[in-house]
Formats: sequence, C-alpha cells, structure tokens
Amino acid sequence: MTDAIVANGVELTYADGTEAVRDINLHVPVGESFGFLGPNGAGKTTTIKTLVSLLRPTRGQITVNGYDIKTDPQAVRESIGYMAQETSVDPDLTARENIKFACETYGVPKAERTERIHDLLDLVDLADVANKAPKEFSGGMKKRLNVATVLVHEPPIVFLDEPTTGLDPRARIRLWKYFQEINEQGTTIFLTTQYLEEADQLCDRLSVIQEGEIVATDSPDDLKSKVGGDVLEIALEDPTEDRRTRAQRITRESELFAEGTIETTDEGISVVSEHARRAGTDLLVALRDEGFTMTGFDVRSPTLDDVFLALTGEPAGNKETTGEEPMEPPTEAEVVQ
Amino acid sequence: MNSIDNGTAGGVAPVSEKTTGNGFLRDVWIILKRWLLKSIRNPFRMLLSLLFPIIFLVLFTAVFGQITGSALSQALGMNVNYITYLIPAIIIQTALVSAASSGVGLVDDMENGMFETMLVAPVNRTAMFLGKALSEIMLLIVQIVIILVLGYVLLWVDTGGPPSTYIETGLAGALGIIAIGIVFAIWFTAFSNIVALVIRDAESTSLTVQLLVFPLLFVSSAFVPVSSLSKWVQVVATGNPITYGVDAVRAVMLGQDVLTVPNVMEFSGIWNTLIPALAVLVVLDIVFGGIAVYYLNNAAGSEVQ
Repeated sequence: MTDAIVANGVELTYADGTEAVRDINLHVPVGESFGFLGPNGAGKTTTIKTLVSLLRPTRGQITVNGYDIKTDPQAVRESIGYMAQETSVDPDLTARENIKFACETYGVPKAERTERIHDLLDLVDLADVANKAPKEFSGGMKKRLNVATVLVHEPPIVFLDEPTTGLDPRARIRLWKYFQEINEQGTTIFLTTQYLEEADQLCDRLSVIQEGEIVATDSPDDLKSKVGGDVLEIALEDPTEDRRTRAQRITRESELFAEGTIETTDEGISVVSEHARRAGTDLLVALRDEGFTMTGFDVRSPTLDDVFLALTGEPAGNKETTGEEPMEPPTEAEVVQ
Repeated sequence: MNSIDNGTAGGVAPVSEKTTGNGFLRDVWIILKRWLLKSIRNPFRMLLSLLFPIIFLVLFTAVFGQITGSALSQALGMNVNYITYLIPAIIIQTALVSAASSGVGLVDDMENGMFETMLVAPVNRTAMFLGKALSEIMLLIVQIVIILVLGYVLLWVDTGGPPSTYIETGLAGALGIIAIGIVFAIWFTAFSNIVALVIRDAESTSLTVQLLVFPLLFVSSAFVPVSSLSKWVQVVATGNPITYGVDAVRAVMLGQDVLTVPNVMEFSGIWNTLIPALAVLVVLDIVFGGIAVYYLNNAAGSEVQ
C-alpha cells in the first residue's frame, strides 16, 4: 500500500519554547480524504505547515508523495497544492492572471495552459468574472479563486488549512462540492477544520487534535458513535435543582435511554443517545405525565464540542477562552513572532 | 526559525521524473512580470513617487534659482545654472522615494498571502527577490528619464541652451546617470525591506522610510554645495550616503570633479568623484543587501508562524 503522507513522531517546538505539536503520527493512503479536527490553537496549522515544508520539524520524519520534506523539499513543493487559512490571491491581478501566474510558477507547459485556466475557471464558477480583479470579489469568490490557483499543476495531494472558516453556508457548500469532485478524481486531500460537519462531509478518516497531540483517529461515523448518538436537550419550566435531578432520574428509568448519557444542564437536562431522535417524543410524554412543563426541546447531531467532551472529558474551548492555560505568555509570544 | 534552505538549494532540480520546476532565469522572469503587471495596474503609485521630486525641482528652481548663482560659481569655480545643479539631487531623491516603496510591496505580499504562496511553490528563493528588484529598477529607469527630460525642458525655458549645456558628458553621461541611480537605489531598497521585515506593517514602513528621506536629503550636498554649509552639517554630510550619490551624478552632469569631502586626487577629472563615490555606494549595497537577505531568509522560515 502506498501512503501519500507519512509522519512519524513529529514534534515542533518554536524558538520561544512553545511546543506546538507533539508526537504526530500519520499514514494517509493515496486517494484518501483525511481531516485534522480541533479547536483554535490545537496545532492544526503548525502541522499542515510542517507537512507542506514551510516549517521544519524539531524531531520526526515526514514523507509526502514519497519525498522526504527535509532532504527534498523542492520535490515535495512541486507535487502538492497548499491553500493557506488566509485567502491568498493577488488583489491587483485579474482572476485569469492569478491562475496564469500560478501555472507559470508550477511550470505548467504553455500548450496546456489556456485549456487548464479555462477548466479551472469553470470548476470554481468564476468564468464570468475572469477578467475582474479579486479586489471586487466577495470572500467566497476569493476563496474559490484561491482553490483554482492551488490546483493548476493537478497535484496528487492537496492541503487545505481551514478551507471554509469565515465563509457563509452557501459558499461553504459550494467549496465542499469542488473538494469532493477532485477527491473523486483521485486527489488525496488533507484538510484541517474546526467543524465536525465539514469533517463529516469531506473526510474518510480524521484525527482529533488537542493541545498539539492526536487524541483519536477514526472515521467520522465511528468518532460520532464514541459520543454515543444524537443529543437531546430539554428545557424545563422552573428548573430548580430538585426538579432537574428528578427529570434526570425519570429519563434514566426509561428503557430506551438506559444506555445513554443523561446530564442536568442550566435549563433542564441533556441526553446523549443513539435513540435520541426516535424516542424523544416518548420521553417528553413521560415527563409531562410526571407533571413537568417543557419550555424547550432540541435534537441535534453531535458537534465538535460533544466529540471533544466524549474523547477528552473536557469541552473543546479555544485555548484563549478556556482560562485553564496561562493566557498572557503565549499571546505575547505570538504577537512578537 | 530557519526552516527554509537557501536559494541555491531551492534551485536544484529534484531527483524526480515529474519535474515541473522552471530554470532560474525563467523564475526571475515570471516574478518580474507579476510585479510589472501590478505596477501597470496602479500607475498612480509610480506617478505619486515622482510627485515630491517634481515639486522640489519646480519650487527650488523658482525660489533659489536667482540667488544661488554666486555661491555656485564660488564653490565650483564655474558658472552653473541652478537647474543643472539641482537635477542630480532630484534624481537621487527619486531613487530614494521609489526604493522606499519596495518594502511596502513586500509587506503587502505578506498581508495578502502571496509571499507564503511563493514559498510553497517550487520557485527559487533568490529569483523571488531578484525578479522583484528588477521590476523596481525598470520603473526607476523610467522615472529618471522623466526627470532628466523635465530638467532639460526647465533649463531650455530658462536659458534656451543646447543639451550640451545640460549634461556635459552627453548621451554616455545620461546612461551613466541612470546607472548611478540604480547603484544608489540598491542600498536604500535593501534598507526599506529591512524596515518592512522588522515592522511588518505597510503603512508604518512607508511612513518611517519616507520620514528619513527628507533630513537625509537636506543634510547632504543635494541642494547647496557642502562648503557653504555650517561646520556640523558638513561633518554629517560627509557621512551621508546621499552626498556620494548626488556628487556622482553631478560630476557626470557638470563634467568635473565635484566631490570635496574626501578630496580624492589620484585619478583624473570626474573619476576623482566617481571612483570614491561609487566605491562607498557599492560597499553600502553589499552591507545592506546582506542584512536584507539575512532577514528575508529568516522571514521565509518564520513568517508562517
């Protein structure tokens, strides 16, 4: 079996001593769509920048398309496409010129260029604004142009760093479609994301990363099943502690939810169970019969937060907001860098 | 963190049959093309950097043109029109102003992500910077030609004299002036890139470098002969690179040795100015260029942080 990306024991410590990632091990087979899921500051960007040869790992080995990133970075660069988190297009050049420039930097033969540019403009639906400069584009359009510039040399692997962060839902779905298309054509995809939904849509497998370490690697479905099913949240009228505990007990006694996780929340209770969707109404009836009045009711799929909670026992807050980490030193270090 | 190898290693073709990398010159050419295209898209920027030098030229000749005659003939031992005297200073000012904007372009590229995009692309690192520098040199040549032509128009309106009264050394001299302008621009281009890489903010970079331009210009041989300046200004002017740039251009225009601060006499005629002045400038180019390359290599590794 050929692996498109292999990483063994990769560590990266910045000059100021910050350990950005620790002991990263990856085996991504050719043609797979692989995701890195984690909150801000977890080390996703550091990992992807190391894989594309922008950062040199402090320890460990990485091969991409069979090339070692330390000894053969040039071959790695020629064989990959990399889209940074911040959209990277030249605002002064037209959409067509941006793609043409990318063709030139990757040495796409002149004879193929015209057709390639045409096809890429079509793929990202920018043919009608090909001669306009990105200055006039929306965020989603710029990102789409960026996608086109990354694909000019038909790279066997594409690295996408949070490809849809900050985009509206329509733009996001549109981008997902392109990524699915190129993946179906055989392109290996490595992407980072904060959204379980995105990982769910795009990835065959994903690693959950927390504070620089991989805590789990699995298919999206298996990861979600680790959460234990869908989440049912019920808000009660007058949610005193006593009433919430009683509601929790009633739920636990119900046969269907015996396997699930039932917790009290500020407003009422929260149930995680694979039966949450099917048996939700039964539970509501049971609670009503016990004299409860419900003011809110919501069933949803597990989110990144739920996966994190299930895997690590703590919420997936961004580093800056959890308050557990000493805040100031890393923040200052980042500003100085 | 210096994770990126230097330019030479970047240019070596990998041991791979799927090589798509371009040759070094081709890399330089595509980078050069992109920067020229950006300049053409924003012609206003180039005109804007000509604005101050032109204002200086017109105002200074109008205000001081009539009263500087005796000071000039005293310092130079010949009758020189103030326009002819001033043009070298304006050319050096133009070189300064356009070199100052080089760093701004670099920060812009970092801000819109193109810098990182280029680092991930299989483009030679040295070619990245050489291509950009060449585009700036080409624009500078155009700007110097514009100033030279404008200067002659002003002189012709004033005296009606033939071109030989403007540039004593003729067409070869005009080409020499362009060459000096380029040699002069390199150290300040490097300097503005260093400032850009340290500050990393386009507007602060622009302001910092532009603010330096004016005091440097005044405390030099740019507008009046060094001998007619006060003692402390003379001392500063001697150490000011602008004095060497201006005197080199001026020697070519007037066809005589004008450099007096280190008064070199080993050569003949204008070479007594050109050789020491160019020597000083080339040393500055190498020193500042070296520092800039060091910072750029560092940026190539840690910019991504």
